[in-house]
Parts: sequence; structure tokens; C-alpha cells
Amino acid sequence: MAKRVTLAVAGSRKTQGIVEHCAGLPTARRVLALTYTQKNQQELQDRLARHAGDHLNIEVLGWFTFLLRHFAKPFLPFMFPGEKVRGFNFEGMPYRMSKGKARFLDKGGAVYRSELGRLAFELITASKGALIRRLEGIYDEILIDEVQDLSAYDWEILDALLSSNIAIWMVGDIRQAVLATNGRSSKNKKYAYADAINWFRTREKKGLVAISESTVTWRCHPQIAAFSDLIFDASWGFPGTVSKNETVTGHDGVFLIRGEHVAAYVSAYSPQSLRHSAASAKQLDLAFMNFKVAKGATFARVLIAPTSPITDFIRSGASMEPLAASSFYVSVTRAEQSVAIVLDDPGDSKLPYWTPPVSTGHRR
Amino acid sequence: MIKKIRIRGYRIHRDLTIYPNPKLNLIVGGNESGKSTLIEAIVLALTGRINGRSAAEELNPYWFNAADVADFIVKRAASELTRLPEIDIEIFLDNVPELQELCGAHNSNLPTEACPGVRIRCLPNPDYLAELQAWATAPTPLLPVEYYCVEWSTFADVRLTMRPRALTTAVIDARTVRSSGGVDYHLRQILGSQLEPQERASISLQYRQAKAALSESAFKTVNQRIGQLHAALHAQPIALAMDQTARTSWEESVAPHVAGVPFTMSGQGQQSAIKIALAMNRHAGHAKYVTIEEPENHLSHTSLATLLDRMGALASDDQQLFITTHSSSVLNRLGIEALQFLGPAAPVKLDELSTGIVGYFKKLPGFDTLRLVLADKIVLVEGPSDEIIFERVFVDLFGKRPMACGIDVVSMRGLSLARGLELCHRLGKKVAATRDNDGIDPTELRRPLAPWLAAGQREVFIGEVAHGHTLEPQMIHHCGEAQLRTILGIADTANLETWMTRQKTEAALRIASSSEAVTAPAYMLQAAKFIHG
Repeated sequence: MAKRVTLAVAGSRKTQGIVEHCAGLPTARRVLALTYTQKNQQELQDRLARHAGDHLNIEVLGWFTFLLRHFAKPFLPFMFPGEKVRGFNFEGMPYRMSKGKARFLDKGGAVYRSELGRLAFELITASKGALIRRLEGIYDEILIDEVQDLSAYDWEILDALLSSNIAIWMVGDIRQAVLATNGRSSKNKKYAYADAINWFRTREKKGLVAISESTVTWRCHPQIAAFSDLIFDASWGFPGTVSKNETVTGHDGVFLIRGEHVAAYVSAYSPQSLRHSAASAKQLDLAFMNFKVAKGATFARVLIAPTSPITDFIRSGASMEPLAASSFYVSVTRAEQSVAIVLDDPGDSKLPYWTPPVSTGHRR
Repeated sequence: MIKKIRIRGYRIHRDLTIYPNPKLNLIVGGNESGKSTLIEAIVLALTGRINGRSAAEELNPYWFNAADVADFIVKRAASELTRLPEIDIEIFLDNVPELQELCGAHNSNLPTEACPGVRIRCLPNPDYLAELQAWATAPTPLLPVEYYCVEWSTFADVRLTMRPRALTTAVIDARTVRSSGGVDYHLRQILGSQLEPQERASISLQYRQAKAALSESAFKTVNQRIGQLHAALHAQPIALAMDQTARTSWEESVAPHVAGVPFTMSGQGQQSAIKIALAMNRHAGHAKYVTIEEPENHLSHTSLATLLDRMGALASDDQQLFITTHSSSVLNRLGIEALQFLGPAAPVKLDELSTGIVGYFKKLPGFDTLRLVLADKIVLVEGPSDEIIFERVFVDLFGKRPMACGIDVVSMRGLSLARGLELCHRLGKKVAATRDNDGIDPTELRRPLAPWLAAGQREVFIGEVAHGHTLEPQMIHHCGEAQLRTILGIADTANLETWMTRQKTEAALRIASSSEAVTAPAYMLQAAKFIHG
């Protein structure tokens, strides 16, 4: 069965690709579509209903639900005989030194979110093949959207799925890996965030998965696309983005603005303001949205309050840490027509400054 | 396909494990051996229902195994901490791709094993723990089922509310036919499964349209009249119309008809025959599991033969049948290899019989195979006269009839003694077989039977050739001619041996009812002593 991954750029209509793929499948094919965020799940369900409504064998699940329903619940007795999964503990975490049952389940029998991946992974082996065989019996094909958001043991689980006889198609943008399903685990740190690209490349070398790149963005203006390509330096080996956005508005591309002009810019273009978190850009009184929250969204124009790594990158081209680079990439690629970055000292940057038009009526 | 059934704490079954045959299972046992309870348990676990109602609604104290409850009371009285009685019925299914949705490790197999399956349990409800503890301080034989809950789930630990599609089950009970209530729940299920979804939708739509048309036409003048009544509050007009709400759906008004007669008005035998044919009929939604209780009921011998032939023709590889029966005809015709015997000890099945013996009994529907299955100990004799004489010999020896000692004397009536012994061997029964020597050395006669014999367990008793070739000369030899003439009361002119041989049964009856002392042939005495033990 075919195993492939499509590494896409922002705005390349990944979700639409999944929907169209589903609509083209025989209606009897049993398909599971997995996504990471709730928002994405809802979006995918709605679009599938519209474009593939007659495919009753397509099921959409979140990643955690998938692990609970098909891994933890049916097979828990292999690790803890007589025990049941009685819920999902989203917030809590086990004590660092917890062993055995207490590592995975709280007192009420609910699985800790932070340990679900590890539990699921360990059950694959503990079940002596029954777990994967069960999945093979239930699904012909598994689609995984936002694959870049998986982390830690999730990658081991993907490995197990890659050696099953289920067709697998993973879609993701490695450059957008700003969410991780397990913030604490040290497992697979080396693949964390944008390093996930290396995970796929090693699998490709072993012939386990075929990688294809989708480099066309329908969202970002060519200048924005070109700028977004600079965020990850050449050593990552990401291909360049091709833009199919041909809209011209008279204010298109990437600009710097000085703090004093922010108010004028906002009133002129009404951009969506983006920041790293509530703690950043306190000097600006704008209706901000955090980088992580903006993921998946599209705006005509954005205004970014830069973090210090972003500032360094713009001034001197200093390369960024994978996580910082990811979140900056996400914020830049939200925009269709223009990106404005608030920065008073441009350093060596060649980016143009936007200034308010001189109002001839009041000045001379 | 069901591979294994385990029932714990349910009614008579304290802990019963059955490994069903892939296609046909003929469940046989004495009264009160739990045949119907086994069927009930299978249906309960497969459908979550009993007699069409949900298990939770029907749960009552008598569902719990009486020995389990008694045990609990004794242990609690001795201040031992022991678990409250529970019911646990598990159905283990074939580990095939189509059933993987039901696959998981939540079953009683040890070591932990994952396979598809469903399970229904009656457990103490954790919400009522305090109440249960209070009750357990002075427990009574009637469990407080109000504090219990019913948990119906797959082995994957998914709670079930509706029967999974892979587990379509048809339930047929020929023992009792329900009152005039019309089409019962089980028949509605069977009928429903005959229809494709499109057919169903089309019938439903046309039925509603027909009702609407009736409201428009026949009721029109009536409605014009009563519309003037102003009977409702606020003086809105009232009108009569056919009820279109869900409780009057077409399913409620449909019944199968046989030659123009409503199903429920036709004979009871006819009703169960139709149900069986509908349930076994090959169609898209056909039931994977069919349970039939006592198909022989209400049927004449010839009707039963017709029905059994039809069942044999309809049987298919993807349908598993569970049939309880008290009829040897059903057993012989459908094949003794399908037997599942619920005895006092562990259940016995005959699935490894040679095809030769299965075919042999199939051709002999009249032979009372079930007597061999159900008896504790068996005496196989050649014919009715041997049967009668053996009884007399036995009563003379022990003062009781063989039946009173759990011994069934079965006349082979010309059937192969080897086949009878083979069957008894597979059933693990204690058997004494007797036969005439017909002038052949007993050692010679014993040789072909050797595979089915075991010292102290199954033995053959044959009179010496010198004492006569058949029963009659043997009697003359042991009793003496004079004594026998007195017993039989025949004229001196008649030749004793010729008279006895011509009227075997009459002679046997006269011997059996005689008040004179009878000296039994040595081999019969040995057989009686052997079997009584």
C-alpha cells in the first residue's frame, strides 16, 4: 500500500487537497482523516460534507481521539490487566518519577495527555500485532493533515503505521511546526519542530515513504513568498515557493514601519496585528492575535510586532532557532498582499520603509 | 463466526464455556440442563436484548446464579470479604478483518489476548456503592438489582447501545407462540432484514401518502360536519385525519400472509417454519446468527421432515445456527456431528466423528440417538425381546428397574452395534452391549468392536456358542426346558425352541411377567452386574 508525504508551503491549499482526494475515492473505501487542531477538524468535516458528502466511510478524528479510541482503550489490558481507560486528562501530568500505571493513568483512570503517545506506542508492541491488525481491518487508508504538529512518540507511531498495509498519506508544512503534541517529553527532541524534515528524509532513504513537495502558494503575494523563503536558511534544503497570487492592490509585499507610523498604517490598511504572546509588544495598543493562534488563518494584510530573534534576523540575516523561525514563518505567511514589521532601526535590511503619504494640504 | 462462548453467573450457568461449530450447533441436554439459558445468553450478548426488551429493563434477581449468591451469603456471614455476584457473558468472534472494530483485549482470556468480541455484564453500579455495602451487611438471596447496572460493550471497551451490524441475529422460538399481539419483536426484526433500504423508504413513503389521501377523501364530509363543533379551546375547528406519527409506521400494520391468511392466524407449526425459512433465506442483510428453539414443536413427523430438509438446503457457510432440540429426528437429520451436549459435567461435542457414522445416522432419523446422548449408562441390546428379558434379569438382581438406576436399555433393532458403540465411545458413556453369537466364537465377534471398547467402561457380553446361537436357546439352556414351559404356559406338543423363535416378543413378555423364578443366561447376568457397577 502506498505511503507518501506531501510537504507543502503555507497557502498551498493542503486541506482542499485532502478533500478533493477523498471526493475522488471509491465510496466504499474506508478512510480515516486525522488532524491535530479542533478548528482544523471542524473545517475538514464541513468541507468533506460539502464536497464528498456521499462518502459515508470517511471518518474525521483528532489525533488524541485516534490514540484513545484505537490504541489505549481496546488494548490497555496488555499492559495493565483488568484496567480500563476511564477518561482523558488534558491538563494534568504524572509525577516525574511515576512508574507503571501511575505513569499513564490518573487516580480516576483517565489517561494523561502528555503520556498518551507513549502509552499508545508501547501498546503496539504489547498487543503482539493485534493493534495494527485491527487498524488494518477497519481502515483502507489513513490521511494525516498537519503532520508537522506531531511530536515525541507520535513519530514512532507513524513508523508503525508506515509498516502496516494501510495506505498512508501525510500532508504538512514542516516550516509551520509551532504546535507540538507533547511539550515536555524529551523523546525524539531531535525531530522536534522543523527538524521533522529529517525524520521524513531518513524514512525516504529506507524506501518507507515517498516525499513530494508542493511549492505553489495561492495565498501569498510573490514578494511575501520570496521573503518567507529566506526565514529558513539554505542548509534546511527547503525548495523555493512559487506564488500564484496575481492580485495587485498598490501596497503589496513586505515593509518595515517605524513605531510612530503604526497608527497611520493601521488606519490606512487595517492589517491584522500579530505578536508572539501577551507578554510581547506591550508598547503597542492594537488588537493583537498571537502567532500560534493565527495558524491556519488567512488575512489580506498583517502587521507584525517582532521578537528579538526576528529583529536580529531582519537587521543582520542572523539565522533563527527552528521554533522561532517556524512561528515567524507562520505569521508572515498569513498575509495575502502585505506584511508590515514594526522596526525603528533597520540595520542592514534592504526592506523598504512605509511612511504615511505627505499630506500637502497641511504642510508646506 | 462465534468461536467461543463463556457464561459466568447467569442463571443455571455458573461458569460455562462452549466452543461452537462453525455452521451448525444442535444443543441437547436433559430438562433443566440450561439449553434455553444458553440461547438466551447468546442473544443477550449479541443484541443487548431479551424478548425484545433491553437487558437493563429486564434485569431481575433470578438472573443471578443461585449458587453464586448462596456462596456470597455464606462468605459474608463468615465475615469474609468477597465480591458481589456478577453476570458476565462473553462472545468471542473469529479474528477476521471485517470484525476488527470489535477487537480488543477486554475479555477474560488469560494471558491477555486480543480478539473481536462482545460482552454483556451485570455489575454493581458504582453510584450505589454505599447502598450495596449496607445491603451486604445482611444479604438475602434476592440481590438488589436496582443497585446494579448492565454494561454491554465490545472487547475494544466501546459501550454498545445498538446491535453492531456485523452481529445480525434472528431469534426463533417454536416452543410458545405469543398471544394475538400480532407480529412480535423478533419477527419484525426478521422481516425488516428482508428489505433493502430503498424498498423500506419507498414503502414508508407510499404508506404515508395513502393515509393522507384517506384523510382528504373519506374523511372530508365528516370533517365538514365536526368542523362546526368548536370543541377545542379557543374555538379552533377540529378534524379527523390518519395518524402520521412514528408510532403508527407501516411496520406496525404489516404481517406476512400464508395463502391469504394472516400469519398469526395460521397454525403454530406453519408459523415457526416460515420464521425459520425467512431467517435462513440468503439475502443481503441476512442474519449471521440464528437461534432456533425446539423446531420440532407443533410439527407432525412429515412436516418436520420437510422443514429439516429445507433447513439443510438453506444452511450456508456464513451463517451460524444454534438449535435446541429434544428430537432425535432433528439430531439425526441435521447431523450428529453438530451435537453440543450440555451434561452435568463439561459440555461434550462430537465434531470429530468420522463422516461414515454421521451419514449412517442421517439415514436413520428414527433411531433414538438422543437416548444414547442423555443417559448416564447404557445397555445396547439387539432387539425388543433382549430388551424385555434384560429388564427382568436386572430387576431380579437389584430389585429396581434399570431406568431407576440411570441406565437406559436401548434396542439396536438391527442397527450396527459398532456404530452405536462408536457414538457411545465419543460421548464417553459407560456401556454394556449384548449380542447373539449366531454360532460364531465370541472372541471373533469382539475383534471388530475393539476400537470402541475399554475395560470397565465399555464391554461386550456374548453367550457361549455351546449354550445356544441366539437368546431363545440360551434361555432354554439356563432355565431348563421344564421350567421354561411352565413360565410360558405352552402345550407339551409344541417344540419349545421353534415356538420361542417364532414369537420372540410374546415369549419375552411372558417371561418378564411370570411370577416363576427365571434363571438368566450368564452373559446377561454379567452385563447387568457390569453396568450397575
